Amino acid sequence: MTSETSQAGNTGFAIVDELKARFGEANLVVQPTLTGMPVVWVAREQLIEVMHFVQQVRKPFVMLYDLHGVDERLRMHRSGLPPADFTVFYQLMSLERNSELMIKVALHEDDLRVPTLCNVYLNANWYEREVFDMFGIEFTGHPHLTRMLMPPTWHGHPLRKDYPARATEFDPYTLTMEGQDREQEALRFNPEEWGMKRQSGDTDYMFLNLGPNHPSVHGVFRIALQLDGEEVVDCVPDIGYHHRGAEKMAERQSWHSYIPYTDRIDYTGGVMNNLPYILATEKLAGITVTPRAETIRVMMSEMFRINSHLLFLGTFLQDLGAMSPVFYTFSDRQRAYYVIEAITGFRMHPAWFRIGGVAHDLPRGWDRLVREFLDWMPPRLDEYERAMMDNSIVRERTVNIATHTTAEALTWGVTGPNLRATGLKYDLRKAKPYSGYENFDFDIPVGTNGDVFDRGMLRIEEMRQSLRIIEQCLKNMPEGDYKADHPLTTPPPRDKMLQHIETLITHFLQVSWGPVLKPNESFQMIEATKGLNSYYLTSDGNTMSYRTRIRTPSFAHLQHIPAVINGGFVPDLIAHLGSIDFVMADVDR
Amino acid sequence: MSYKLTRIDPDAPQDSQYPVGERRVVDDPMDDQVHRNVFMGKLENIMHNVVNWGRKNSLWPYNFGLSCCYVEMTTAFTAPHDVARFGSEVLRASPRQADVMVVSGTCFVKMAPIIQQLYDQMLEPKWVISMGSCANSGGMYDIYSVVQGVDKFLPVDVYIPGCPPRPEAFLQGLQLLQDSIQQERRPLTWVVGDQGVYKAEMPSQRDKKRDERIAVTELRSPDEV
Ligand code: SF4
Repeated sequence: MTSETSQAGNTGFAIVDELKARFGEANLVVQPTLTGMPVVWVAREQLIEVMHFVQQVRKPFVMLYDLHGVDERLRMHRSGLPPADFTVFYQLMSLERNSELMIKVALHEDDLRVPTLCNVYLNANWYEREVFDMFGIEFTGHPHLTRMLMPPTWHGHPLRKDYPARATEFDPYTLTMEGQDREQEALRFNPEEWGMKRQSGDTDYMFLNLGPNHPSVHGVFRIALQLDGEEVVDCVPDIGYHHRGAEKMAERQSWHSYIPYTDRIDYTGGVMNNLPYILATEKLAGITVTPRAETIRVMMSEMFRINSHLLFLGTFLQDLGAMSPVFYTFSDRQRAYYVIEAITGFRMHPAWFRIGGVAHDLPRGWDRLVREFLDWMPPRLDEYERAMMDNSIVRERTVNIATHTTAEALTWGVTGPNLRATGLKYDLRKAKPYSGYENFDFDIPVGTNGDVFDRGMLRIEEMRQSLRIIEQCLKNMPEGDYKADHPLTTPPPRDKMLQHIETLITHFLQVSWGPVLKPNESFQMIEATKGLNSYYLTSDGNTMSYRTRIRTPSFAHLQHIPAVINGGFVPDLIAHLGSIDFVMADVDR
Repeated sequence: MSYKLTRIDPDAPQDSQYPVGERRVVDDPMDDQVHRNVFMGKLENIMHNVVNWGRKNSLWPYNFGLSCCYVEMTTAFTAPHDVARFGSEVLRASPRQADVMVVSGTCFVKMAPIIQQLYDQMLEPKWVISMGSCANSGGMYDIYSVVQGVDKFLPVDVYIPGCPPRPEAFLQGLQLLQDSIQQERRPLTWVVGDQGVYKAEMPSQRDKKRDERIAVTELRSPDEV
């Protein structure tokens, strides 16, 4: 951990000097990490001031990208850091600087309180509720600090180190008739709690509970609506019905055996989910992968982007009432699966990337399959555009519906296609290329209105761009190994294992206990199918991660819903839900 | 063939655990009937067969999904797999109109009471397919927020293994359910006779296919597409 590793060639560190100049060097602790961004510890008392400062500084940090906590109590390697039992970290993004900044606040066990950030960055609201739920940290001044992911009747804070991870460590689950009534009652929506009136003037509002199981909420998502006729006066999204404890899971799986869990975060994104996790672990391990492995990863990720966008297109149009598109797009997905399955061996969740490379080399004949797919898709996309997006009913339902501006999007942490639909040309594959994206030639499609229509249209265009990338992979697939020759590559290449007893033992240890990574922190963000997805890994020099924070785009997109939809109509809400493309696993993890 | 008998108790006390009702394994109730009166027994047998035939070929699934497995389930509903071949294309968005609930995905603790409520809202005759490892047993999610198998509170008719099961596996599960429905003995009228539901204990596919599977010696090489 030298300061060199953390600051090498990164201009994003200018903010540290600006902070030092403003708040004094003595008040800040700069932590060297492998995250590629400055990590600065500030005192709790100064937090709000610091946040105001970075928000208003020249080339401001416009977006609160992430906010979460760490239970530091069992962490061994933390020399040079302020003493802390718990930490809350805030990650901010500046587009003008093209960099991020992480602010950390140390907390003591008997005084788990931090001032809320809701008045500085609006979207802190949900994140703080989640931290409260997971760690029991209180955010003073928060407008509605209640549980977010766990049921309201839950006891304990699951991400604390002293909370058991396994369901099998508790008594087996049972449900009695009484218990069911109690749980259902606890979930009842109470308008007063949210500061809503039941009537005003001569209108009695109607409260409609949409979800958690409704055909147009794409899984288990609930949103309570305050209605005046067809008009949505206010709404409260309610999440947590899909919480599978993916972050806690990382604390008990080895670095290697956690890979399959990442597939299931954005479950339509397949191996693309592996990418940020793998890249972040490779940073910790110090592995540089071969160009061939990089290109294979890009190709498969883009296959899954197309696959996910096709699913989006079908279901989006179905939400608008068009029954047939889903049949067409799913036929195309089947074709994509022919390629994916031949290469990775599975359809939805191949878990195919490995620390240091990918699981196998490309099979003989892969190029023919990819070529067939590349020939098949373009006319289909043209057809979709003509038959669906030019359809006047679709246009009526979507143009100028649920619009939002770039500034609003940034305030709420909206990223990916939903951000680009507002006209901002920001794609991480261009802004901060990873895994060799800088070698590819592709455009960033953008929208103009930031409405439902643009969000749909943009994704068709994105599929075309993905096809371009895949085409380039096909034409220029580098020769060489599909795994890096590095001691921490897991599992190690087979021919390396069969040398002598030493190599055999290493192999055995790596696949049984898993590789041990040096204590440090690393971070990788990618442009996933739905927006910016990142893994922030903390290693404590063990076979498992000490803390894994998964920032998912859909969480932010759902929090944004009331700001967009209040004042609109119920059918607009449905159109909006279809257009933002979320899956609940990508929200609740 | 042995049968599982379920009797619903409308006055079950509030603290009884789901699945509510009495369950036990019995012999085929029709065997008795046949000995008592050959003609009536035969007639009843035919009636059961006809009704079951109708039921099994018009299973209306409930549009209900929890997680990743749901994507593979919907894939089975679309053109390449075409569930209409088995009479199950009428997806219903309301539990009250549906016959079969496919629990496709992870059964979350926060969701469990809701799943139970939706199941209760379905009208008899109704069936449950548990799709995917998560719904079967919790699968890879042995974690605080996940119920280790939906059968902790729902009576499950068919389990489909896989994470996620392929759409073809879902279709096979559906056909297995159809086979089992063909053997059922449900009351033909609510006025006369035994009101219990008799479901056949179907053979396990694992046992059935074991020899065939174990005989495989050559696996396809992953080096070839
Ligand atoms: S069984 Fe696998 S695919 Fe299905 S819901 Fe569970 S994790 Fe997802």
